[in-house]
Amino acid sequence: MSGDDDSNGWQLTESDPGVFSELLKTLGVPLIVDDLYSLDSESLSSLQPLHALIFLFKWVSTPSDTMSGTYDPDFPGFFAHQVVNNACATLAVLNALGNIPSLKTGSQLAELMEFTNNMDPQTRGLVVTSSDWLREAHNSLSPPSAISLDGLGLPKQTEDAYHFVVYLPSMGSVYELDGLKPHAVRHGSYDETGEGWLSRAREVIENRIATYPAGALDFSLLALRDDPIPALQAELAKYQAAGKQTEAAELVVKLESENFKRNRWNFENSLRRHNHVGLVHALLVALAKAGRLEPAKENAKTVMKERIAKSKTRGEAMDES
Amino acid sequence: MSDSGTLLAFKAGRAFRREGTNFVDPSPTKGAIILRKEDDLLHLIWRNRTTNEAEEDLILFPSDATFSKVSQASGRVYVLKFSSSDQRHFFWMQDASSARDEEFVNNVNGFLMDPDYEASWSSSSQPEASTSATGASSSSAPSGSQATPEQLAQLQQLLSTAMGAGVPPPSEMSLNDILTPANITPLFVSHPNLIPTLFPHLPPDLPTPPSPEVLQRIISSPQFRSAVSNFDQALRTGLLGGLVRGLGLPEEAGTGIEPFLRAIQRQADQERGEDSMDTD
Repeated sequence: MSGDDDSNGWQLTESDPGVFSELLKTLGVPLIVDDLYSLDSESLSSLQPLHALIFLFKWVSTPSDTMSGTYDPDFPGFFAHQVVNNACATLAVLNALGNIPSLKTGSQLAELMEFTNNMDPQTRGLVVTSSDWLREAHNSLSPPSAISLDGLGLPKQTEDAYHFVVYLPSMGSVYELDGLKPHAVRHGSYDETGEGWLSRAREVIENRIATYPAGALDFSLLALRDDPIPALQAELAKYQAAGKQTEAAELVVKLESENFKRNRWNFENSLRRHNHVGLVHALLVALAKAGRLEPAKENAKTVMKERIAKSKTRGEAMDES
Repeated sequence: MSDSGTLLAFKAGRAFRREGTNFVDPSPTKGAIILRKEDDLLHLIWRNRTTNEAEEDLILFPSDATFSKVSQASGRVYVLKFSSSDQRHFFWMQDASSARDEEFVNNVNGFLMDPDYEASWSSSSQPEASTSATGASSSSAPSGSQATPEQLAQLQQLLSTAMGAGVPPPSEMSLNDILTPANITPLFVSHPNLIPTLFPHLPPDLPTPPSPEVLQRIISSPQFRSAVSNFDQALRTGLLGGLVRGLGLPEEAGTGIEPFLRAIQRQADQERGEDSMDTD
């Protein structure tokens, strides 16, 4: 539901692969998250080994009772309810990580998973979201509190409730883990051959998307996968040792593009963590010194007037930017 | 809208009973419950905070209705019940914190029993709460409960944040339209010496050393744009006196965008004066 509800100190974070991947790094997990632009076999196979799909969406309107799959109250894996707002992204990640067999994790996460073992989903959700270190890890990529509007009762533009649902294989079936549902949802067994669980998951997700009227659903898909860099490096060393230059060159290109992406994520994450008020102030003073602030103000006023007029003709409440 | 008749306002959404069942499903639409007195009649209004439309306007006669928690529901769901009919209206609390739910409910019930009731608030939660509003009820209220102009101004401010989609009063302009790449890039071209002076304001942990290109990239980044947007919104609350002092600006610069920019211009003029004296 909306971010108006209780958030218990969990700040809203962006749903961006760079943010998720940074969180995974903090959790000591050798996985990353990548955007998934298509569910076709080719896109999916390029991301293997792929452990879970995270479907995030915003309700524009809710379809009537069209739940697919069946509740599995006896789901023996890790499933936690979403009990506070804004934690949904991190909770979805935990629901996925908790069901990946023999996953290497940092000690804090391992302890938390161990501690919540055998708890019911509600209690587990409460325990997980009351974990200080986890909340800090989650919050570390939201804007610094000096310009946070918490407590002023203002809308945050990113406040729109995105909801996160995890799809993953567990014990031969595809499961849907949705922290707002009472139980894990089982979507039937899958065939180990060929694409395996992904082919069943694709079907389930495509069917789900189809239950919404066109344009009523704003969604994206993320893939939780092994960090490809160590594997690429190992393979590269092998080809180089064997003197296979062509294959090695191909891998160098792949590695470069992965590293380029990491660099971009780090860049964006450092901007997310930074308090930009100093830069805003310095830029405005510089504009003022150059005599360009007044013209810029006049122009901004005109732009605002046009925007208000436009939103009036559309009959909408004013909501700029 | 005149606010003079508003007795009470708080963030709450509606909830609806599922046909033929006892399930009550909260609707995610953001709203506010407003109690108003108009022509000596008590109105309970539910206003959609997104469209700002009053979608429900119920006239309540003294002692006819009660507002109580739905104990069977797990969340913060409340029902408005009437003794004269079996009408039911369900709502759910949307304030970020549940700390004041009980207080709002007690005051709602006070007005439902007696429209001349005087709201009582725990003092600790007064001005900052931003979602509550108390004010003079009407001319029929006993003297002494008349609001001072300050209280009315505060009420207006609280209301404007509690309602109107929570959108702060519209401003004449937005900082986002001033700090555009289109305004800043020519400045970098005409004043290249400015660029290195901005480096100290950049994130200390950038993976790439600061350069004019990096600065340009930051200014066009969604992260910077959204920081400007947050700052713009925060300025519009008029409550940033403390923060702007840290920028060497007088406190009144924190009361809005226009005062902020005026103070910036004065600061710039002063610095420019000092600069030219230095070079003399």
